[in-house]
Amino acid sequence: MSPAPRHGRARYDVIVVGAGLSGSLVAKELGDKGWRVLVLEAGTGTLGSWPGHLGALDTYYAALAKVPNSPYRPNAAAPSPDVLDLTGLPSGGYRSHGYFLQQGPLPYGSDYLRAGGGTVLHWLGLTPRMHPEDFRTRRTYGYGRDWPIGYDDLEPHYRAAERALGVAGDAAEQADAIGLPFPDGYVYPMRAIPRSYVDDVFASRLDGAAVRETPGAPATTLRVVGVPHARNGTPDPRYDGGRGYRPVGAAGLPNYGERCVGNASCVPICPVQAKYTPLKTQASWDRRRVRLLTQAVVSRVLADGTGRALGVEYLEYEDPAAPAPTTRTAEADIVVLAAHAIENARLLLVSGLGNHSDQVGRNLMDHPVLLGWGLLDHPVGPFRGPASTAGLECFRTGPARRSRSPFRIEISNWGWSWPEGSPGSDVARLLGMGADPAQPRGKGLFGPRLRAALGREIGRQVSVQFLMEQEAEERNRVTVDRRRPDRLGIPRPVLTYDLSDRVKSGMAAAKAVSDQIFRLLDAEDRTAYGPGPLSPGWFRFEGRDFTFNGAGHGGGTHVMGDAPGTSVVDSWQRCWDHPNLYAVGCGSMPSMGTSNPSLTMAALALRSSERIHRDLTAAHRPAAVGPQEGRP
Amino acid sequence: MTPKTSTSARSLDDFLTASAALTGFGAFDLHGTGMAGLYHRTALEQVGGPAVGRFLDALDAAGGDPDGITDETARDIARAIAHMWYLGVWPQLAAPVHTALGRERANTAFTVSPEAYTEGLVWRTFDGHPAGAKPPGFGTWADPPPGAPAVPRAGERTSGLPGPREAGP
Ligand SMILES: Cc1cc2nc3c(=O)[nH]c(=O)nc-3n(C[C@H](O)[C@H](O)[C@H](O)COP(=O)(O)OP(=O)(O)OC[C@H]3O[C@@H](n4cnc5c(N)ncnc54)[C@H](O)[C@@H]3O)c2cc1C
Ligand code: SF4
Repeated sequence: MSPAPRHGRARYDVIVVGAGLSGSLVAKELGDKGWRVLVLEAGTGTLGSWPGHLGALDTYYAALAKVPNSPYRPNAAAPSPDVLDLTGLPSGGYRSHGYFLQQGPLPYGSDYLRAGGGTVLHWLGLTPRMHPEDFRTRRTYGYGRDWPIGYDDLEPHYRAAERALGVAGDAAEQADAIGLPFPDGYVYPMRAIPRSYVDDVFASRLDGAAVRETPGAPATTLRVVGVPHARNGTPDPRYDGGRGYRPVGAAGLPNYGERCVGNASCVPICPVQAKYTPLKTQASWDRRRVRLLTQAVVSRVLADGTGRALGVEYLEYEDPAAPAPTTRTAEADIVVLAAHAIENARLLLVSGLGNHSDQVGRNLMDHPVLLGWGLLDHPVGPFRGPASTAGLECFRTGPARRSRSPFRIEISNWGWSWPEGSPGSDVARLLGMGADPAQPRGKGLFGPRLRAALGREIGRQVSVQFLMEQEAEERNRVTVDRRRPDRLGIPRPVLTYDLSDRVKSGMAAAKAVSDQIFRLLDAEDRTAYGPGPLSPGWFRFEGRDFTFNGAGHGGGTHVMGDAPGTSVVDSWQRCWDHPNLYAVGCGSMPSMGTSNPSLTMAALALRSSERIHRDLTAAHRPAAVGPQEGRP
Repeated sequence: MTPKTSTSARSLDDFLTASAALTGFGAFDLHGTGMAGLYHRTALEQVGGPAVGRFLDALDAAGGDPDGITDETARDIARAIAHMWYLGVWPQLAAPVHTALGRERANTAFTVSPEAYTEGLVWRTFDGHPAGAKPPGFGTWADPPPGAPAVPRAGERTSGLPGPREAGP
């Protein structure tokens, strides 16, 4: 197969690789500025139509395990990792049998989605900002990597991202409780999503209480704080100097999804699309300038001998089940990789580009999650509303970071769905059925006693999620294995992943806090960690058991820095080695603090778009196409 | 191709009466899910008419109380039918039961249909709705569920709460 030129003009101002969150934002910004943008998307575009969305919803309903990728059809041409790819072994350790080749001491437990719209289709939609001190942990606390830019540099872009994603939140509370600086009088586009009853119960028992991580440690005072969401709520008329905000509805169905109705399935799919997805941004692309090509897997970035990126090679396929790809190329002045942290690193490695620093693929980070769960003494109404509407923010910052990872605590609204697979596991357990059909079964409860027991037990389920910061470590990395390609012949990602003692110490502190939270709640603490098939993330530390999960927040793999010798991209997410090749996404982040990372990633993408616009303008003027030019 | 059993009616009604005893939900509620026919057919397909008949007989012999079923095969069918009603999922049978029934199909769990999931009874046991369907409306998650005490809402006690920690050096 020799590269064949595509029909029509194959030359663009910008090629964006990946129609996920960061790619969709970059394409939107540059298209609106008049540049010709080609977006190449590996997955199908089915989810962008309303029938395609309904199909995914049905697939989700019919799925046995309602994991993040359950609504989305497997695609042989663009395989995705899945959390079901990992199995724990009976006495510790894990087995990985999916797209990733995993060889680290501990598993990387997160997935992503390679379909038009990307991973954000199954995100939860929480959009907290990072704390100013998260950008400079090395200078302040002596660990991790510092950003070449700080909170202040990013602040206007945070606001732009909050507009682009449509964020609902309470800025005054964020400022007061967390210490986040906002411009005077700033309000989010929409008012805060109401806190859940679960949050109120937690607040009534926890607010003002003091807990200690270890017996001698200083006391920390607890406070339940709402979290900002990229989820449609009630517009704030004060937004934008009184101009207000119009929520963006579903992609593919007008006047729908303009407010969250409490489906309680944001992960893995919001039935009404009240939750932000990049499909909404794509719906606002100026299609005369932004061309989306789906089922086009970029296999390589092409560069000349001087280090200039020329374009990309991509493989176009028709049938996702039995792909027979055609190799093509496209050229542009600027190439932007926006294929997800791990896929961006894979593309750079496969292309042999950008790796003068030997940092490509290294510094892989996630937010390792520790879970705590228990039963309250009265019904709490679990499985209602977005998965989390508030948390405890008091362990995110401060000098304790010198010795252990900080953490953010999410209060879950969905009972034990994450730790125990509720409510399905409760039904099976009460019926006397274990996971292994070869084991003898219990007698089981039936009839009114079964019904009452389920109501009593599930109705009182509460859980908390501790999102640990994971610092950049070179040994945690993505490489590629040329001997083990995917169906299209592209080398698959090999992951080497582990948790440092700093993260594990943070988990020990988090567990101590968890114990005290359940005591203060007067709840029966049911938290238990042990090895087993469902615990690939089990390990022992200082004589105690822990099990962690992935948060889906992969980053660090094309790390940003202030020098070409030690980092892959500069603060504009531009490869040091290739001035017209950008790698955007969480992969650029030198640290992720304890905040769900996508808002920060979106702010970075918008900031980079400005830079790309300047680069292109310096080279030539935008093309005039169509009547929109010249409008105010 | 469902062989008839010796006992008189092995109809949908019998299946519903048994289902009510298994689930603790009345036949009216079960009918209301719209799933009764599909579940009946699924049970017949999965274990065969004779085994369903023997289960119904065993339930009758126990006076309609599933706790009184002593035969392990009948009891496991009872578990499976209750599981299906609660979750919309036909489960794996106990391995010895699967063997004893001589089933000519894999012993695997599956969701009976997309609607079966959203009609699962489990959500109703705690006054909930199926995750991903039948949404109760914006902000409803802030209300106490039935049987829960009212607690102060956010904003009703915000004064005097701790601010951010002192930043490090
Ligand atoms: C379960 C879950 C919940 C999450 N919840 C939150 C949350 O609440 N808040 C938060 O901040 N973050 C959350 N995240 C993280 C968030 O989803 C990611 O940070 C975000 O999706 C990354 O965006 P991206 O654009 O870099 O990559 P993606 O969204 O993954 O998009 C990449 C796109 O590139 C395409 N692509 C891949 N390879 C190629 C190729 N070779 N050629 C062409 N196209 C390609 C993919 O198909 C995809 O469309 C969550 C993640 C998970 C898994
Ligand atoms: S709670 Fe429901 S309606 Fe609201 S965002 Fe989540 S899935 Fe969508």
